[in-house]
Amino acid sequence: MLISELASALGLETAQGAFADRAISSGYASDLLSDVMANAKADSVLVTVQAHKNAVAVASLVGIAAIIVCNSRPLPEDMIEAARSEGVAVFRSAESAFEVSGRLWSALKRP
Amino acid sequence: MKALVDLHNHSCLSPCASLEESPSLIARLARERGLDLVALTDHNSALNCPAFGEACRREALAPLFGIEACSVEEVHVLCIFGSAEEALAFGEELRSLLPELPYDPEKLGDQVVVDADENVLDLPDYFLGSALSIGFDELCAQAAGRGALVIPAHVDRPMFSVGSQLGFLPPGPYDAVESMREPAPELSGGLAAISGSDAHYPEHVARRPTLVELPEGALEPSEAPRLLESLRAALRAGSVRPSWAASPSPRGTP
Repeated sequence: MLISELASALGLETAQGAFADRAISSGYASDLLSDVMANAKADSVLVTVQAHKNAVAVASLVGIAAIIVCNSRPLPEDMIEAARSEGVAVFRSAESAFEVSGRLWSALKRP
Repeated sequence: MKALVDLHNHSCLSPCASLEESPSLIARLARERGLDLVALTDHNSALNCPAFGEACRREALAPLFGIEACSVEEVHVLCIFGSAEEALAFGEELRSLLPELPYDPEKLGDQVVVDADENVLDLPDYFLGSALSIGFDELCAQAAGRGALVIPAHVDRPMFSVGSQLGFLPPGPYDAVESMREPAPELSGGLAAISGSDAHYPEHVARRPTLVELPEGALEPSEAPRLLESLRAALRAGSVRPSWAASPSPRGTP
């Protein structure tokens, strides 16, 4: 699955759509960015409620392809700006991290 | 002059603190245990600051008045003012940012507003332990705008810290960081690191003070209006020695 296919596949709102499209390998759900730094994999999708510009910095550091912010959390403008300059895709969902992770898992496992 | 300073203390207003931990007990124990300058920093509220000011006056101890605010990312930050009135005004602002959540003192702990004689004045019926509906950067900017010392709390702890929640310290109007050990550069941002007791129980009072070099006479009551700025200057100048850097005691205990 490509980053560009995430929004329609999971019913997401695209908050930052300036990114170089590539394949997603896996997902990681966490709200502690220290944990994301330690455990998330490159080319993964981060499912989180941690809507802060540091989430973008950590994503960039780890090589995370996209961030999905759950529960319709407000997205700070400086987070979107950081994501645009780093080329990290940011999506938003009204659903919880559990629901979004479930949908993402199914979508990634589908042959 | 060298002053033993502790800027992180919770009273019985904090739901997670001991009911015994009245502002007057903190002031008495702080004086008995050799502290010179002490701040009260309850979670998201300053309602016990007036009692703390009076209790410190009785103990001839210099007080500062703070709040340990919890941002929406669940990062704790100490916001410390020179007067109880300023702390109360900031607390009033934070009150409007507390989410309406069910609060059961049986499950979450008591929150007690008292006077300096330990008379109960109020039992707030809203939970003070939640995350405020305000981002960390905006919270710090607002506190700094009101003249507070802004000190991210226990930056290296595995929960409720800049390190755990945000991975590293974003740029901001901080005067220092509080840490459990010498913090990594990405958590200190090059600022002075201080220790703090984060006292929730009587036995915690004065367990991790910081030695600060202050101007001679800075702790005199007549200097109270200038105390916060004297402390800010000392923090910014790095004139501090946190408890982890102190020379070992004769008994070999930290």
